[in-house]
Amino acid sequence: MAATNNTDNLPASREAFFIRLYKKAFPLVAKYISNRGGTFDEAKDVFQDALLIYYEKTIAGNLAINSNEVAYLSGIAKHLWIKRYRENSLNIPLDGIDINLEDDGANPSGHRLMYFLETAGKKCMELLKSFYYDQLPLSDIAEQFGFSGTRSATVQKYKCLEKVRETIKQKALAYEDFME
Amino acid sequence: MKTSWNETEQIELHLSASADTGSALLFEAKLLLDPILHDKVLWQQKTYVAINNYGRRQLKKEIEAVHQQLFSAPQHNSFRQKIKRLFTNL
Repeated sequence: MAATNNTDNLPASREAFFIRLYKKAFPLVAKYISNRGGTFDEAKDVFQDALLIYYEKTIAGNLAINSNEVAYLSGIAKHLWIKRYRENSLNIPLDGIDINLEDDGANPSGHRLMYFLETAGKKCMELLKSFYYDQLPLSDIAEQFGFSGTRSATVQKYKCLEKVRETIKQKALAYEDFME
Repeated sequence: MKTSWNETEQIELHLSASADTGSALLFEAKLLLDPILHDKVLWQQKTYVAINNYGRRQLKKEIEAVHQQLFSAPQHNSFRQKIKRLFTNL
């Protein structure tokens, strides 16, 4: 099931979405990895990244409506496991799932910056995340954050964007290692 | 300081290449003449990357919370046992 119907990307329904997928697909992935000598931690690691990739694909509307979610999710997890832990064995190419999940040091993703944004800038970051990352409709965002309407949510979104942009710039210029 | 959310919106339209042709040309002309605006565009681009990284970090935390719930709450006992049987080291 795709998450494009504005339900799976709301926080409460996201939890139910992940629990359902965990229960349905994790046993298959764990069995596959265990049969090949992998560990529980490896299974957990790749399955969680697969869930993230699957979530991003569903909100971007990149999945066929009738695609089998368990098969698809397990496929991503198995592929990640082979790539990470069995690089020398058969590498099955699976188009479109090679998403780089590692934070790139050259990008504004450094730990100091993230720590700062998660604390001082949390309110704005949550609003911006809902719009740009979770891709919630403005009407849902307005309701969730208590704005009078979509117009007011839009204005606040741009004000936050501007505020965070200036914060990142100031911090990056003040501390050379801020972005690392 | 001459900043407004309209300008931030214009930068967004420019970066996502979704402004109409007339507005896009006008913005590009402004960009050539205004180094401060140019600077804002660069930092706004980094801001979108930061938002995406922030989103992923929060999502990973939510997924980990689900994992902890499934591997500790009594109502998920049978699920937990099913997984445990697969790994002798658990």
